[in-house]
Amino acid sequence: MSKISTGHFSIEDLENVQITIGKIVGAIEEKVAEEGDMGPTPKPSVSSLRDWDYQLLSRYQPVYTPVCDQCCYCTFGKCDLGGNKEGACGINLAAQQSREFLLRVITGAAAHSGHGRHLLHYLIERHGRDHPIDVGPSNLLAPNVQMVTGIKPKTLGDLEAAIEYVEEQLTQLLATIHVGQEGAAMDFESKAMHGGMLDHVGMEISDLAQISCLGMPKSDPEAPLAEIGMGCIDATKPMLLVIGHNVAGVANMIDYMHENDLSDKIELGGLCCTAIDTVRYQMDKGGKPYAKVVGSLAKELKMIRSGIPDVIVVDEQCVRADVLDEAKRLSIPVITTNEKIMYGLRNRSKDKADSIIEDLASGKEDGALILDLNLLGEVAPRLVLKVAPLRKEKGIKAFPTDEELIALAASCVQCGACEFVCPNDLGIMAAMKACAEGDLTKFEILHDYCIACGRCDQECPKDIPVLNVIEKASQKVISQEKGMMRSGRGQISDPEIRQEGVNLVMGTTPGIIALVGCSNYPAGTKDLYTLAEEMLKRHYIVVSSGCSAMDLGMYKDEEGKTLYERYPAKFLGGNLINVGSCVSNAHITGTAIKVAAIFAQRNITGNYEEIADYVMNRIGAVGVAWGAYSQKASSIATGCNRLGIPVVVGPHGSKYRRALIGKPYEEEHWKLYDARNGETLPIPASPEFLLTTAETIEELMPMLAKNCIRPSDNNMGRMIKLTHYIELSQKYLGQMPEDWHNFVRTETDLPLAKREELLKILEKDHGWEIDWKRKKILSGPKMKSDVSAQPTNLKRLCKGEC
Amino acid sequence: MVDTTKNTLVYTTWGRKTAKPVNPNVAAKMISKAKRPLLVIGTEVVGNEQLTEKAIAIAKKGLPVAATGHSITVFKGMDVNAKYINVHALAHYLGDKNWKGLDGQDTYDMIVFLGHKKYYLDQVLSGLKNFTDLKTIAIERHFMQNATLSFGNLKPEVHIEALNEFIENL
Ligand code: SF4
Ligand code: SF4
Ligand code: SF4
Repeated sequence: MSKISTGHFSIEDLENVQITIGKIVGAIEEKVAEEGDMGPTPKPSVSSLRDWDYQLLSRYQPVYTPVCDQCCYCTFGKCDLGGNKEGACGINLAAQQSREFLLRVITGAAAHSGHGRHLLHYLIERHGRDHPIDVGPSNLLAPNVQMVTGIKPKTLGDLEAAIEYVEEQLTQLLATIHVGQEGAAMDFESKAMHGGMLDHVGMEISDLAQISCLGMPKSDPEAPLAEIGMGCIDATKPMLLVIGHNVAGVANMIDYMHENDLSDKIELGGLCCTAIDTVRYQMDKGGKPYAKVVGSLAKELKMIRSGIPDVIVVDEQCVRADVLDEAKRLSIPVITTNEKIMYGLRNRSKDKADSIIEDLASGKEDGALILDLNLLGEVAPRLVLKVAPLRKEKGIKAFPTDEELIALAASCVQCGACEFVCPNDLGIMAAMKACAEGDLTKFEILHDYCIACGRCDQECPKDIPVLNVIEKASQKVISQEKGMMRSGRGQISDPEIRQEGVNLVMGTTPGIIALVGCSNYPAGTKDLYTLAEEMLKRHYIVVSSGCSAMDLGMYKDEEGKTLYERYPAKFLGGNLINVGSCVSNAHITGTAIKVAAIFAQRNITGNYEEIADYVMNRIGAVGVAWGAYSQKASSIATGCNRLGIPVVVGPHGSKYRRALIGKPYEEEHWKLYDARNGETLPIPASPEFLLTTAETIEELMPMLAKNCIRPSDNNMGRMIKLTHYIELSQKYLGQMPEDWHNFVRTETDLPLAKREELLKILEKDHGWEIDWKRKKILSGPKMKSDVSAQPTNLKRLCKGEC
Repeated sequence: MVDTTKNTLVYTTWGRKTAKPVNPNVAAKMISKAKRPLLVIGTEVVGNEQLTEKAIAIAKKGLPVAATGHSITVFKGMDVNAKYINVHALAHYLGDKNWKGLDGQDTYDMIVFLGHKKYYLDQVLSGLKNFTDLKTIAIERHFMQNATLSFGNLKPEVHIEALNEFIENL
């Protein structure tokens, strides 16, 4: 008897009857098993990869920096855990901090996979379980899913088994947070790693589903450019503002507008990842994105307070909790569209479009909850057309007038309350003083540093609406905020990996710098641009996503071109790639997995540990989440970490409570095995950390260059990486790095132009023996240069071990 | 004499053990008594002439400097004993009794902080407060509640005055 598999079949003699088999439990897993390449850990449980985590954690030790020394998790407490004391339940501060970190990671992972589940459910309903996954010219469609779960998905339906696994594991992890269980910080850490890994599976599922069904670019280096910035919004048109991360509803609005010839009549702008995905929608055949990107989360309150939006539609994730209150003040109706955000609004999902539009336009109700996304598609555009003229008629006033601005600034008593509470210590007092005298320049600068949290407003004893003052004073610079962003291109394709994989592993492309995450920058958005430009000029592959991808497009060179217009978007050194929204971050880890699979021909199916070991020792990639603020950023970073990819976050990231930092001065931690013979292989102390912070981008840039160094670099690769490390240190720190010599294995590792000079330093300062006739190093280096060595952390992979 | 102990409102994090507000002369004397003090200078000194000047003046009193972020750039050619280190890594190493310090000699017993972002330093100090025995002194213009001793919240001009007094007493 042949087994039934998923798909369709017809029964003879029964005309016009076709039976569809939706889902058979275990069917896809069985298929993989038949193919015979299942690795040792398909669908790993909480403890399956614990040994790997412990290896990582012995080299990269947790550094805890509590935000609060107390625990108030249960009614035994609150407990003062200061000085690493134990609470009433027996947990000490280190373990409690790791538990807190785990909670953040699984919150982030749940946000992404909840998003994925919603999309998958919705898209399966529309397109069916058999709808193929189509993400571009690749055979390896779902590297994270395949590596972690062992499933090789081909259709939307296949993704369900993978998301079920993620959901089940997240429940298990959440259960471990409960009081009175785990006491070992290291095990909480291992669980956090597990959560981070799951996050990348959840993200991948989300993006594969939407790319396949919503016509998003498919590994397309020529993905179209989209307009970005508050300055490109045409305020003369009725404006519909969408905020959040889930594009399903917006896609319906765009369709409705196209079908009803409304596209020219409505200005559609987006904030955060919804914006990114809105400009990906139906762009797989090229064209000009219809919507505009307003910007990142830091622009949310600024855009609402501008009074320009006529209707706001929110979906999920990074959306301010006070959108409804803020919008109400300016008579902007708000529609919530997802169970994650309902703002206490009446559920109108079953009501007629006309009645909802009437209630919201008349101001009878401040907003509506519409969970039926087809209904939403009709209501939002029609509502905006109705509301815009009414708001204009009312003469809604958002910002103070010029005269009021000066008067407000003059009323400042220089008490400093706003500055003390400002998360970025911005110089508000001095700017108020200058503004009162008619000089707006200080506020214009401050505007970019201000993340629009609104905390200052609440502190002012004179009731000065500080943020509105900043924004009013900066109108000139805001009107010039016009940039271009390449819309997210999705995965890196298999052929691209084939072409560039070797350069990455040998180091001749010096590394991948992934600029990801949110907009909680320590010193404005320009930092990110400066950083990307420097690394692009140095031939690094710069990959971006989410809010970082947006902010990169905000600045122009002297010729008026943004980075996206200046640098191509192929997977090659010196290229700038926007993979897409938050969930597209899975393509960054996916790229590393693909290098192992395609370039190195490793079996990735259910084979997490071996692939992570490969990535860690061979792929010079560093993630940067310079403005990381969300729990999702911590889960994305932790998923990278388990896979051996280090991540640096900006100084605000220290509030994630824990870092993973190695000690380069402890030699025993910097050793691997050579898989050819099991011998010990000393390695350079890079990456030095798995998760850490940097203070400024000047500090960050040499850090990035150094931490792209990997044991597998060939001499040319090491030479290139060392050159950048030395040059960036000299340029931004004004000095040679102290430890550059630790990365030298042989004279051919030395930067060519500086070889003689460096050999002299090695001889004089470090006591190395040099043969000056042949310009060769005779003794000194701690490690040998051997490109055929097979560095591994895993004894079991060494010859003769299995 | 400047009183730097008045305003100790906490703007950052909370814990039961809170820094003792300290006046500049007392802070200076404590440091003078330490066996192996370390001055940790952050990037906020860069571009702030007055603060840079004070940082250099303190370092010239013989304190070794850990220059975090890119603050090392202000010490170039200034004949002070300064070395670059990432502050998060420094916080990790400081808690390790086997770490031989920036000069390869020994660990430190008292750490002095100046020129840092308050929220960032607060985290660093929280790690040191809860997981090490080190004494830490913040001579910042913000009350750093996780330090052992700290100036209170000060306006910039008062802060400079306080630093002058601190330097005089070193
Ligand atoms: S979970 Fe433990 S440490 Fe926290 S409040 Fe309860 S008893 Fe105290
Ligand atoms: S809104 Fe801007 S200026 Fe006000 S506290 Fe927040 S970041 Fe500071
Ligand atoms: S809180 Fe108000 S009065 Fe005080 S400094 Fe800030 S703007 Fe001026």
